[in-house]
Amino acid sequence: MTAVLRVEDLCKRFGGIVVSDQINLTVDRGEILGLIGPNGAGKTSLFNLISGVLRPDSGSIYLNGVAIDAAALYRRARLGIARTWQNMLLFRTMTVLDNLLIAPRSYPGESILRVAFARGTVRDAERLAHERAMTTLARMGLEHTANDMVVDLPFGQQKLIGLARTLMNDGPVLLLDEPMAGVEGAAYETMQRVVREEAASGRAICVVEHNVSFIRDLCSRAVFMANGRILQDGTVEELIASAALTELYFGV
Amino acid sequence: MLDPVILAQILWTGIATSAPYVLMTVGFALTLKVTGLWNFAHAGLMAIAFYTMYFVLDFCDLPVVAALPAALIVTGAASLAIEIFGLQVLRDRGSGNLTFFIFTLILSELIIYVITLLFGTEPETLFKSILSPVTIVANIAVSDWDELAVAVAASGLVLLYAFLTWSREGQFLNAVADNARLAELYGISAKRAWRVVSIISAVFIVASMYLIGTHGGVVPNSPLELIITAVIGTLLGGIGRVFAAAGAAVFLGLLQSFSILVIDSRWQNLLLYGVLFITILMFPRGVRLPPVRLLWAAR
Amino acid sequence: MEYLATIGVLIAIYIILSSSYDLVIGYGGLSTVAHPIFFAIGAYTAGLLAIHSGLPAVCNVILGGLAAMLASVLLAASSLRVSGDYLLIASLGFQLGLLQLIKNLDFTGGPGGLTAIPGTVTGAARTPFFLIVSGLLAVATVWGIRALVNGPYGRAITAMRDEELAFTALGRDATSMKIVIFAIGCGIAGVAGGVYAYYFQYISPDQFEVLQSAAILTMVVLGGMGTTFGPVVGAVLLLAIPQAITFLSLPPSIMAPTQGIIFTVLVLLFLFLRPAGIVGLSRKTL
Repeated sequence: MTAVLRVEDLCKRFGGIVVSDQINLTVDRGEILGLIGPNGAGKTSLFNLISGVLRPDSGSIYLNGVAIDAAALYRRARLGIARTWQNMLLFRTMTVLDNLLIAPRSYPGESILRVAFARGTVRDAERLAHERAMTTLARMGLEHTANDMVVDLPFGQQKLIGLARTLMNDGPVLLLDEPMAGVEGAAYETMQRVVREEAASGRAICVVEHNVSFIRDLCSRAVFMANGRILQDGTVEELIASAALTELYFGV
Repeated sequence: MLDPVILAQILWTGIATSAPYVLMTVGFALTLKVTGLWNFAHAGLMAIAFYTMYFVLDFCDLPVVAALPAALIVTGAASLAIEIFGLQVLRDRGSGNLTFFIFTLILSELIIYVITLLFGTEPETLFKSILSPVTIVANIAVSDWDELAVAVAASGLVLLYAFLTWSREGQFLNAVADNARLAELYGISAKRAWRVVSIISAVFIVASMYLIGTHGGVVPNSPLELIITAVIGTLLGGIGRVFAAAGAAVFLGLLQSFSILVIDSRWQNLLLYGVLFITILMFPRGVRLPPVRLLWAAR
Repeated sequence: MEYLATIGVLIAIYIILSSSYDLVIGYGGLSTVAHPIFFAIGAYTAGLLAIHSGLPAVCNVILGGLAAMLASVLLAASSLRVSGDYLLIASLGFQLGLLQLIKNLDFTGGPGGLTAIPGTVTGAARTPFFLIVSGLLAVATVWGIRALVNGPYGRAITAMRDEELAFTALGRDATSMKIVIFAIGCGIAGVAGGVYAYYFQYISPDQFEVLQSAAILTMVVLGGMGTTFGPVVGAVLLLAIPQAITFLSLPPSIMAPTQGIIFTVLVLLFLFLRPAGIVGLSRKTL
């Protein structure tokens, strides 16, 4: 079982709408899995189920072989499932640096007891987080924005910051929800490079994207979803070549 | 103690006594359903309703036929004003829950302070006497007040149901309650719906305060306590379920009535708060954060 | 002199109450109106312990704070489990219910209140002593809260208030954090209650009514939510205004509602015209 992330027979419905219908997929170490399909196919819902925003009606989710579907949202993040959001959800009243400093999985500074009694530990952790945050920003060429208010940045940079914040969680899984939406030019290149680097360093990554060239460049495998079901999975070339899928995707 | 006649009496009196609470709860629950707000300004409106009637009846020495319309007009105008100049302004600013709460509660307190200044803190009733002629029906004492209370509550519920189910305006209310933004896309004015509901709740408030004011003494602070029953009823019934809330109000009334058999009357209020807690702890189902508020207020 | 000293102690206590309330609603973003009841729990616990147990005063005040803290954890844990909105209603019910209980129980003195709470320091040293103690506690509260919200903890609180979902998805237990903030705020209010009980040696249920929430809310809204000195400014204002009214020599039946009217009108004005409060930054909107 080399799969870092494994989803087994996941089902979820809201009233009459089935958002996930017997979903099965795996993501291995260092793999970038693409998740494509028309809007409303249930891709974001799948991310919500994996990360813990939603509870499945049935089915299981395994992280490195351990079932995590009973764990709460925050616990799954601590176990190492990091994700980005379609709406970014950056912390509006904080600076770029603060947005990142709050993101590592371990944070002794946020326990009142430790703040009071273990100041040394807190200081060290702060320093470490600071270094990691600056390094992450540097990877994206955004060190100079560290002290800017995050809402003052242009859209593309905000998306990069969103990714940077997620990367501060150094866990094994990365879920990227439409990271490229509205991003172009330099930011696009940067994001592509960073995602490749993350995969190379061993993360299991799953990406939801509409941007087909992004998927083709980055993903070895992809999965096509529509109406809550996985219709086909295979290499990106196979999926693109499939006439039926193309019609579903573009013929809507 | 288990004499069936006594039980029947308690049952009847309990139902009758709960009638004004049913009206109050329905107004509150309907407002919550359509606007997504726990509107504590209702307490202030209750005070306005009662003291308007009191003023007309006792200071101006006019009959009930003058007092009721006066109360309807004043309370309705106040309710509408709160909606247009208070709540809508806060909505346009994208205010959060706490702000709405502060506004409605503080406004109620302001109203109650003003009324305290004007009318003092002595308990007042609408008529000089709260004794009501009693007829015996099947060994049970049924007072005229009882009959009026039950009649008003029942007709209020029936009219509201008919309105919500069959009238266009009522259906608009339902649509806005479900999803204000979506309703707007279909040409339904959310603002209009909120204003309509503010008037409807004013009517229910006046009706309930008339009944309460003819049955016992009222002090300026009374509405703050009365509204707790409305809150509990709304919680028990489930957010968005107005008629379930009405049923819950009857249940609470009966609970209080029958509890006289087993506990001291001074613990009555405590019983109510106890029920509030149990509701919160054990009956969270039916509590979905009303999507209207999230969509509309947090823009 | 005695009169001014009492005002001084009251200002100090109000500063403690408003700062701790600001921690809960301004920084923590929790909707609650139950602050007066935790003040009351601290006061009654300390008062009852003073009367019936032989424990030293400091001990009783601390126990008052702990009792308030424990009660607040129970309240928050049970209502936050359902939703953040529930805390609002639950706190209202808790405030009213517990006060009703206090009014009806004999050993708390019932509606008449708890009298003859034994004194601590007597004689000429009493007033300056209480002034110093309450003053120090006020300073400690303001400074402590400021220290708390300026470090990584404050960062976490702000993030939680900004985007709770993203915050949770970064591995934070938002509910725990809310309970902790609530507990700290209410515990501080409890300690203030203990000091209050010892100074005035008489407490009664109507000193802790829901309308007291309006007073504390006024202090925080007027002064500025989510700021260090806003609550301080608010507390001073709230005590200065009634003093100004007293000079008008109105009968008490007019004075009390008049004070109430002034406070509520001020809150509403600020709510609509200057939500950031006197001290707050203008970019903050409520």
